[in-house]
Amino acid sequence: MIYLLSITIMMGTPLLFGAIAEVIAERTGMMVTAIEGIFLMGAWAGFVGGYLSGSLTVGFISAMLAGLLVASLYGWICIYLKQHQVVTGVAINLLVVGLCSFLYRVIFGVPITPLTVDPLATIPIPLLSDIPLLGQILFNQTILTYAIYLLAPLSYFILYKTSIGLTIRSAGENPEAVDVAGINVLRVRFLTVLLAGVMGGVAGAFYSIGFLGMFTTNIIGGRGWIAFAICFLGNWNPKGAVIGTLAFGFAEAIAIYMQSTGSSALFPNELFIALPYIMTIVLTVSRKSFSVPAKLGVPYLKEN
Amino acid sequence: MQAKLRDLLITNILAIVLGLVASGLMLLFLGKNPVNAYSVLITSVVRDGYTFADIFVKATPLMFTALAFAFTYKANLYNIGAQGQFYIGAVIAAAGSLLLQNILPGWLVLIITLLLTIVGGGLWGAFVGFVKARYNSNEFLVSMMSTYVALAVMNYSLRTFLMETKAEYPQTDALAESVWLPYMIPGTRLHIGFVLAVLACVGVWVLLYKTTLGYRIRAVGYNAGAAEMSGINSKKLYILAFFISGALAGVAGFTEVNGVQHMLVQGFNPDLGAAGIGIAILANGNPIGIIFAAILFGALKVGGTIMGQMSGIPSSIIELMQGFVMVFVILSYFVRTWLENNREKRKLQKAVAK
Repeated sequence: MIYLLSITIMMGTPLLFGAIAEVIAERTGMMVTAIEGIFLMGAWAGFVGGYLSGSLTVGFISAMLAGLLVASLYGWICIYLKQHQVVTGVAINLLVVGLCSFLYRVIFGVPITPLTVDPLATIPIPLLSDIPLLGQILFNQTILTYAIYLLAPLSYFILYKTSIGLTIRSAGENPEAVDVAGINVLRVRFLTVLLAGVMGGVAGAFYSIGFLGMFTTNIIGGRGWIAFAICFLGNWNPKGAVIGTLAFGFAEAIAIYMQSTGSSALFPNELFIALPYIMTIVLTVSRKSFSVPAKLGVPYLKEN
Repeated sequence: MQAKLRDLLITNILAIVLGLVASGLMLLFLGKNPVNAYSVLITSVVRDGYTFADIFVKATPLMFTALAFAFTYKANLYNIGAQGQFYIGAVIAAAGSLLLQNILPGWLVLIITLLLTIVGGGLWGAFVGFVKARYNSNEFLVSMMSTYVALAVMNYSLRTFLMETKAEYPQTDALAESVWLPYMIPGTRLHIGFVLAVLACVGVWVLLYKTTLGYRIRAVGYNAGAAEMSGINSKKLYILAFFISGALAGVAGFTEVNGVQHMLVQGFNPDLGAAGIGIAILANGNPIGIIFAAILFGALKVGGTIMGQMSGIPSSIIELMQGFVMVFVILSYFVRTWLENNREKRKLQKAVAK
């Protein structure tokens, strides 16, 4: 059980990175539907950077930059050219799949054995990790998990307690008011999308160099969409995102656990693999009310 | 109207060319000459009847998945789960064919299997419409998620009751020749499914533009509130639109299993759904336009594969070309709006000057 919960936290880490990035961007009215592509690009760049330099730090920095690049393309098309967010996201996701597998081939050719790097090591925090039960679960994790411990409350604080947060939320509820206050709505939206790119890039790199130590083009397998879903289910609130992430992390931990112990006689393996996705559907259906940002998905047009 | 159509053609062609140029430039990274590569692509695609016919073979399922997206798109709904509905259709097609092929005559099996895939894919899709109508769930999210569930369903059935008798790989036994879709041109893989796809495109066009149902669907798409006011039951339409959409994608599974693969292989054609969306966008959601856009994407697929075989270019060039073309097509939407606005402005200025 301790093992399961510790995996829950570990596998929840990238999801929460993505979900919080998504919450912040969607609060300004921008669905980041390119999140799956951002994750994948991050995973790719993280691996390439980490493998070539031998340093995971370089890997994560390249992942951030790659995520930023994808996000800026997405943001430019959706915010400044005012094109449709769902359609643009699908296009960019497809392009990224092509780019990643093509460039992987360009850089590494066709390796005979899969290339690997040593994934991120866990860092037990002195004293805290000695707490019975909780210590092993919460404080024997990688540095990314510790980062999200700080980022999650910080994002809540910024969204609800600062004027920046007010601007972000208003851009999605009443962009005209933000405009009248002399703040550039488009720029607010663009910056949050860029932030989502950076955070999504890190999240993607978690899968390649933080966990598996290798890259394949199906490494993300819809995890970006799950982060997207967590944002919805968490009601566009970092608090909700944390709860949603724990649920999904747990579902994924069960899947990993089941796969490692061999298929159970009672339930097929595939059921556990599909569990996070089934959960999304069930939760979307069972949720009674949502406080959807009023202008979610709507481009901002200035009248002149 | 004339000017609009001209803009559409010019910007789309430009988008396609730019998309191909962009992917061509990527070839430079591999030290390949893009001009050579593309001339290989063009000459090899038309080098023999088999390869040329393959373009239409590849275009067939793409038409269905593109229609699936375009159909709900008209109702301002997003079905991005065509991939999953396709998988469900494929599983049903394989199961139905294998089950019935020794009992009934081939043509009857084909008809029954087709109907089963329509119902199966349709119900899988209608579920999305149902939760949208009943619980106001986000159809975009639910349809996306349902794809992964469909994939699990396919993997499960291929590991258990559909697995080949040799029990070696996650795939079914080969279908008996009696339940293959008949070939249209001897010596090629072009099967009757292509005709089915073209008919589906025409049928969807008629349905959307010439029937009351189509009118209602488009009315809901333009303005759901106003449509509701005028007595259109939008909830029922959501379910119906998603049923039709899912059924269309499901039939792609039928044409692929019974027409091309003649068996079901785990995780085949993983990009049909996404490419279908690209095609629908390229065709501006028009079912007739989808025929041509799908043939273009089919040509890219066939050409890309040959490029890979002949000159060591990885087959990911296909996704690259498709992705770049899609992004440029979206950019061309922006250019068209801009051109249109300019024209309107000039018209106004002229009117004022008078």
